[in-house]
Amino acid sequence: MPSVKPLRVSGETQAESSVATITERPWNVVVWDDPVTPMTVVVVIFRKVFGYPNNKATQLMLTVHHEGRAIVWSGPLERAQGYCVKLQVAGLLSTIEKDS
Amino acid sequence: MAGRLFVRRRDGRIEVRLNDDARAIAREAFGHVLAAEIDPAHEWHASLNGPIDPSHDVDDPLATFNRQHEVTSNVELAVATLNEEFLNDAEAWAWLCTLQIALRATITAKGLLTKDRLEGADETTLEYITTLQTFLFSLADAM
Repeated sequence: MPSVKPLRVSGETQAESSVATITERPWNVVVWDDPVTPMTVVVVIFRKVFGYPNNKATQLMLTVHHEGRAIVWSGPLERAQGYCVKLQVAGLLSTIEKDS
Repeated sequence: MAGRLFVRRRDGRIEVRLNDDARAIAREAFGHVLAAEIDPAHEWHASLNGPIDPSHDVDDPLATFNRQHEVTSNVELAVATLNEEFLNDAEAWAWLCTLQIALRATITAKGLLTKDRLEGADETTLEYITTLQTFLFSLADAM
């Protein structure tokens, strides 16, 4: 979930004031396809790392398989890095990227 | 048809049904992962140190330290339980992670990252890959 920081612009009257909203774009954890990793292994890893139920883990695995990559989690940078590391430790090809 | 190599027992443990030859293959794979983690010259080293954020030249040092620590912990646990008849969940997870790292490091080191290139690999490499996949498939099925 993106975090939202409202900023009130100083020097404006109440009527003229506007609330600008800066939305910090989340970071995506991406898993990339490879030609050798068994599908069941990917599902087990998604269940273990994220605690996803079997059907969600399977859906994400199929997205990786058919589209070459899948965004498996989005959120703040530190947590994205942490999940990416856990996926790499489990032997998956994973990176992070800022949401576009 | 070969029987299952890893079987979940009713008491929750996972039985390891690998024969001596299969355990020797697992031992070799674990040994390579352990060596690659500490030896920059090892052909698997690059695979174990892939980018976390490819848009930056250098990754967060804490993240890379955590990765190294967790990989080492897993492979050490896998090596320590190599001859066990039964694995608990933490040990099985360590085996799965280490075998999967070995599998991916093999194709990365040999440049077999597409199906076309994989199909052109030599017979010995393909046999090794298939063996690791068989281990992983059975272990994941039991987890």
